[in-house]
Amino acid sequence: MHPPISLIWFFLTAGVSIGLFNFTYFMEFLTLFGKNTAMPRQAVIISLVISLVLIGLGAIGASFHLGHKMRAWKAIKRFHTSWLSREAVFSGAYGFVLFLYGLAYYFNANLFIQHSLGILTFVLGWLSAFSTAMIYASNKFVLEWYTSLTVLYYLNMYLMLGSSAFLSLTYFYRPEFVPTYLFLTFLFVSLGLAFRIAFNIRQFIIPRPTINEALNLPHNRPIRVLDTGTTTNNYCTEEFYYKKGKDLLGSVLPVAYILTFIVPLFLILYAWITGNYNYNFFKIAFASLVLGSFLERWCFFVEGNHVQNLFYGLYPEEGYRLRKGYMERKKTVIRL
Amino acid sequence: MAQFALVIDLNTCVGCHACATNCKEWNTQAAFGPLSDFDPYGREPQGVWYNRIMTYEMGEFPNTQVFHLPKSCLHCQDSPCVPVCPTGASYKREQDGIVLVNYDDCIGCKLCSWSCPYGCREFDEADKVMKKCTLCIDRIYDESLPPEHRKPACVLTCPAKARFFGDIEDPNSEVYNVIKERNGFVLFSDAGTNPGNHYLPRTETKVHVDEHLLKHDNPLFLEVLRRHHVGG
Repeated sequence: MHPPISLIWFFLTAGVSIGLFNFTYFMEFLTLFGKNTAMPRQAVIISLVISLVLIGLGAIGASFHLGHKMRAWKAIKRFHTSWLSREAVFSGAYGFVLFLYGLAYYFNANLFIQHSLGILTFVLGWLSAFSTAMIYASNKFVLEWYTSLTVLYYLNMYLMLGSSAFLSLTYFYRPEFVPTYLFLTFLFVSLGLAFRIAFNIRQFIIPRPTINEALNLPHNRPIRVLDTGTTTNNYCTEEFYYKKGKDLLGSVLPVAYILTFIVPLFLILYAWITGNYNYNFFKIAFASLVLGSFLERWCFFVEGNHVQNLFYGLYPEEGYRLRKGYMERKKTVIRL
Repeated sequence: MAQFALVIDLNTCVGCHACATNCKEWNTQAAFGPLSDFDPYGREPQGVWYNRIMTYEMGEFPNTQVFHLPKSCLHCQDSPCVPVCPTGASYKREQDGIVLVNYDDCIGCKLCSWSCPYGCREFDEADKVMKKCTLCIDRIYDESLPPEHRKPACVLTCPAKARFFGDIEDPNSEVYNVIKERNGFVLFSDAGTNPGNHYLPRTETKVHVDEHLLKHDNPLFLEVLRRHHVGG
């Protein structure tokens, strides 16, 4: 699949926004139970402003993916069936309620109002993240994405980005929380690494369809594409098979692994074990996570193989060998 | 419920591209046009086509068959492209099962093309909307045309008469009977999309390759003979 940069941009901005708000509000929420966990007022306001600006920038950036940006509001019409519609509604509502929560917090509104808005923002943020993840996870024609692992991994990445961003805030305002947030960031980055490895391993074992299955022809006859009807690429071959990306994937994926997981894990573990809480470690860890996540999302798109590539002979063949035994047991009613 | 669709006979389709060309011509000038072209006289001409002809070779040399597969929107009965559309621009008509895109509502998010397992939707870079085969809906309901002309442009133009059009749910229709009698099949039957367009399978032709059939002055004579014997 061709990676749309605007969607990767939305992932990063929404991920940091929702993740950061998540931890900021969670610390506020714990104060309701008598815990002294709230961040200083200035830190909360900075965090809310960052979250609000990022979700705004994300929405603007994501609109560059659309052919008609001015009609983007129409994306709310098919809420009952379309995950994209749900994403648009929930992310818009998240931004709006976040703004209201920020106002309520800034003007010291009634605690009930503050926390009602806070909880609503929290829920809307996660609904937005879940809807975005489901756009990919519900596409049964890109088998690499069609798994609940996509959703778990996606939500965990928001927590990775959020916890590492919040780590920097705690360092400045409540240094006593640094060990807790080092642990949380370590936990989410480790989980992210585990999900990523599982995602990559899964690609080798998923049973894939073959060109015979696409054309509904007997499985025991080799089929070869002679001509796709056009002398050059077309929309389908460019959108669903990104050749340049496929060539680069082998080089980019290791870099994505290193920047997203290895560098942050090393820095966090070093700070955690030695107790050397150098702010530069946290800055570099966060920057590495953001840059790595950009590359990781790029790889996620390029790794996706749409089944319509079968018609063009551009689908991976590994699956055929893996599935051969299964394919031969299938009944075929077509006789040629 | 009625389901208008095309039925294509793979025995008679000769891959001449007349259907694709006439489809492009009609749909560029008619109600749903234009279908944009880019760099049409250059090295890499690109453009929107509702109908593309694929050519495949099946079997192993020398027992191979070449067949042509015209592929346009299959007007699936369970169209996966319809529910994912966030604006409702992509919809399926209840009265005849034709799947259409309302260009005024399409925001060009391309999600419908991601959800189509057949690659039958194309993004028009000039109009910034998604386009696809309309089964020439502007022709088939045009009462100013003589009844025999109220068919999709591809059906009317096919010189080999390999294409049929009609309601595949109507037992009295030609397409219903031809699918039933000749074991019509659909692409990607496992995808759960229940396509409207059907294909009629090629009838089996067995060719026994004999030494006499091979030209002795063929530079590949020994190679062909060796492969033939090895393959049994």
